[in-house]
Amino acid sequence: MAMMMKRTAPRSTLRKIIKKHKPQLRLAANVDLLIHLNFLLFLHRLAEEARTNAFENRSKIIKPEHAIVAAKVVLKKSRG
Amino acid sequence: MAARLPRAPRRSSRGGRQAPRATGKTASDSRKENKFGRSTLLKQRPTMLPDLDNDTPRFMLKRIIRTQPQVSPLAPQIRKHEETEEAGLEPPSKRISSTVEMQLPDLVPENTSMTTFHMTRKKKKFSISEFERAADKRLPQNQTQSTLDSTSLARSLRMSLGSLIPPDTVEKRGLLRRPKNHKAIDMEAFEGGVEQNMLQRKAQNYLADSQTESMIRRATLTSDAEIVMSNTELFVQPQFGEQSQHRLSALEPQLPESKISAQGSKNFDAAHEEARLVGLVSSVGTNEGRTQRYSEKNLILDYEHVRRMTPVSPKTFVSQGEDHQSNSHQSDLMEQFSVPEEVVAGTTEHHANAGYSEQLEKKLTKTPESQITKTQDARVETEMTASEEEEVAEGSVERLDSPKAEPEVARSFGAGSLNRHSRAFSSQYFEKSGTKSFKKAVEQAGELEDRAVTGEMEDLEEEPTDDEAEIEEPESQEISMKTPAFIHAAAYKPLSLLSTPHPAESAVPKFPLQPLRSKIVPKSSGISQRKMSEPELASSLIKKVFSHYVKMPVARDAFRIVKKCSERYFRQLSNDLEAYTQHAGRKTVEVADLEVLMRRQGLVTDKMPLHVLIERHLPLEYRKLLIPVAVSGNKIIP
Repeated sequence: MAMMMKRTAPRSTLRKIIKKHKPQLRLAANVDLLIHLNFLLFLHRLAEEARTNAFENRSKIIKPEHAIVAAKVVLKKSRG
Repeated sequence: MAARLPRAPRRSSRGGRQAPRATGKTASDSRKENKFGRSTLLKQRPTMLPDLDNDTPRFMLKRIIRTQPQVSPLAPQIRKHEETEEAGLEPPSKRISSTVEMQLPDLVPENTSMTTFHMTRKKKKFSISEFERAADKRLPQNQTQSTLDSTSLARSLRMSLGSLIPPDTVEKRGLLRRPKNHKAIDMEAFEGGVEQNMLQRKAQNYLADSQTESMIRRATLTSDAEIVMSNTELFVQPQFGEQSQHRLSALEPQLPESKISAQGSKNFDAAHEEARLVGLVSSVGTNEGRTQRYSEKNLILDYEHVRRMTPVSPKTFVSQGEDHQSNSHQSDLMEQFSVPEEVVAGTTEHHANAGYSEQLEKKLTKTPESQITKTQDARVETEMTASEEEEVAEGSVERLDSPKAEPEVARSFGAGSLNRHSRAFSSQYFEKSGTKSFKKAVEQAGELEDRAVTGEMEDLEEEPTDDEAEIEEPESQEISMKTPAFIHAAAYKPLSLLSTPHPAESAVPKFPLQPLRSKIVPKSSGISQRKMSEPELASSLIKKVFSHYVKMPVARDAFRIVKKCSERYFRQLSNDLEAYTQHAGRKTVEVADLEVLMRRQGLVTDKMPLHVLIERHLPLEYRKLLIPVAVSGNKIIP
């Protein structure tokens, strides 16, 4: 896991994205880091789901259809 | 000592101790001894030589040297593992003890080298040189002793040396050469590349300038010629369009080729004035067609195309200067480097268009046109200028107005502007209404030149800031075709630049030029603007993270889905955060809000507190920021 962490979180990009969607919303100091964490966990769940789908299909790679199904499920879950 | 060990590979023998057995073995034995180390040597020593005053092999070796000056070619071999085998080649003269000890002396002087060698292979060089020295030293010694020995030694030495040297030298050379070669190549290539870049940049700059200037001159010249011709051809406008179209089309394909551009320019300059005139007229059509094409292409991102086109087109005007071509090529190459290049390219295109427009204008001036055309031109200009950062566009537009471009001219301009715009905007507004506008523009241009153009122009005018329109119109009217568009363009440039964002956005639905304008204007920041207008998360980051989490190969299409999914996720996320924040009566999202969100999502549970997640997934620097406890030490800040 540490190896993956070499990348720095795109803090400014995250802020811009949120700003684009909700310009009136402000973000506190380290909130974007938590947003990044949230995003990572979301991808994590998506990856797990997609991997499960691929396994179920006895496929060695993640195909788009696996990803779509996984996305539907995870997006629903992470709606809060 | 330990160094010796590595040297002596193997052959087993502890036989070394019994050295007297096989001379050939001795070498190996000695080597082995080296391998085994001082202990073995010591052991051997007593057997070999009674005198063991000093335990150190060094002293032993000294004794050996004294006693038996023979040099063992084995030394070099010893150095190398592979060469140990050559020990067999060593002259039989080496007695067991002597061999062993001979090797020892060899080893000794080369101890350092050996040790070093052993330590790092890099020291082979040293060892080799040392070995050689030792060998040389030994050789004479051997010779003195016995020819046989010397010969054998020499032989062995040579052999060892030979074996040693080649590999060492090879290694040395390899070590020495390779870096040198690389450096030389790199340096040369780098410098060459730098120079080329410099030249290209300069060329581009010069090209832009020269092109504008040349364009101006040429435009004037051509316009004059055109004017003369235009009289007769005023009525041939439709033909013009065709010819211009042909020309334009010809130019377009030529664009990618510098030579062709030269030819194009030739064509222009050539006495094919009529053709030119017609071409101009046709250019309108071509422009239209081009706009369509461009819109599609550009939308799909052809900054490069634009660049290529622009440099090429201006070249035609400017005339073949190979330099231009080269510049254009370079500019083409440079395209990718900076947006400004695009701008330059855009300007070049404009220049080309301006040239066309100029010609048309001149022709048209002969026949005073209704103000509609003028207005159209003005509008076109305004639009064009607004949309186009380039000066040329503006200048050309102005010229168009002044000559009272006939509907065709207006059309051509519009088309040209459209083309330009389409190119400029391509990438930017592709996503937006650019496509729509293009289609509209194209259709309009196709239907009714004047009306459509005027209509559009009007719209454009309205949309652009009033200041812009006002400024542009009067200027355009004032400026005749002859005046170089550049000058005017320069004036309009700032305006257009400023106005482009506004008109671009407002005009998007209306006139294709408008979106073009906005696209063209922010050319320099095209890509960055893209990011600004739509900040996106770096796809590479998404790919990396996802691949890491999924631990399986992922199809490329699946990545696209993941990307879309993450975009939707961010939208959801911002909505949720806003809801939570508002619920808390705040306007700023706080960490607590995030935590609530994660709890709702099921990521944070009683069993899995937030801190754990932070520590698990975030790098240390961020952890420190988020968890004060982790850093503060004594203080505990809840």
